[in-house]
Amino acid sequence: MNVNIELYASLMKYLPPGKHRFRREIRVDDGITLNQLIRQYHISDAEAHLVLVNGHFVNCGEPRDQRVLVEGDTVSIWPPVAGG
Amino acid sequence: MNQSDKDRYARQIRLPAIGESGQQSILDATALIIGVGGLGSPAAMYLAAGGIGKLVLCDYDVVESSNLQRQIIHADDAVGDDKVESGKRTLTALNPDCQVETIGYQLEGSELVEAVRAADIVLDCSDNFPTRFEVNRACVDTATPLVSGAAIRLEGQIMNYQPAAGSACYQCLYPRAFGAEESCELEGVLGPVVGVIGTMQAVQTLLLLAGQGEEMVNRLLLFDALAMQWQGVTLPKNPNCPACGGDRQAR
Repeated sequence: MNVNIELYASLMKYLPPGKHRFRREIRVDDGITLNQLIRQYHISDAEAHLVLVNGHFVNCGEPRDQRVLVEGDTVSIWPPVAGG
Repeated sequence: MNQSDKDRYARQIRLPAIGESGQQSILDATALIIGVGGLGSPAAMYLAAGGIGKLVLCDYDVVESSNLQRQIIHADDAVGDDKVESGKRTLTALNPDCQVETIGYQLEGSELVEAVRAADIVLDCSDNFPTRFEVNRACVDTATPLVSGAAIRLEGQIMNYQPAAGSACYQCLYPRAFGAEESCELEGVLGPVVGVIGTMQAVQTLLLLAGQGEEMVNRLLLFDALAMQWQGVTLPKNPNCPACGGDRQAR
């Protein structure tokens, strides 16, 4: 199935080559979980701070292992920021 | 509000979202600003220009030449001065009617709590998780609204805590320090990016003081300058939040 992945800010470096700067449509196995997708892109837990599925925040406390993605989902990931 | 105030703030009084009553609330308000750096510079300057009654500036640092690229409250001749004193000079020049109080050391413990309690609103313009957690905790404990901004590299985030609305707090978003501490010194930062976030803090502060916080409850804004994207996210209150949530009593 196909899902969209958006990696923002300092996470852009994890995207495979492509014409769009921060978004890719990717092919994944049916039944893939959020965490499996994040690991597939070698993003550490510390970096994958803010995870959104179709624009909805998946709280850090929610088990991302159990969140199964479906065809057409858009996963957006933002890193933590504390500077100023 | 006298005629001089009405003239000076006419353009924002004209806005239905502010009006004379909103401007009066701004004129009567005290804001505590934690950090007079990249975020605190534009935030303090817009609040002073917008007529806030009193600003309390808190920062223990001195101005360095490497600050000047983004910390626009500090001029070239301020290098070596305390940031709070340099900031006060700029703010007083911008608007002599704005009362500015300075605290040139790091507020901690009960002194921080009392400073937060004395303010109508707090702006977290600091640069590290431990300070952010302590400021958030003091705001939760005293039910004081908080506008929290953060920026580094080419990215930034902004959210606010509205106790009267039962909103999420900063630690609902960051229950713990994530990853290694990153600094602008090591990672770099584009000046206007912190300017955008600090300016947004001023926008939210003025609107909150004028009683317009409804649309901002539980909203987190994320900014990526390189992608030229803003993303607005609903940030739910975390029942397990270490600062405002259910396990708080267990601490």
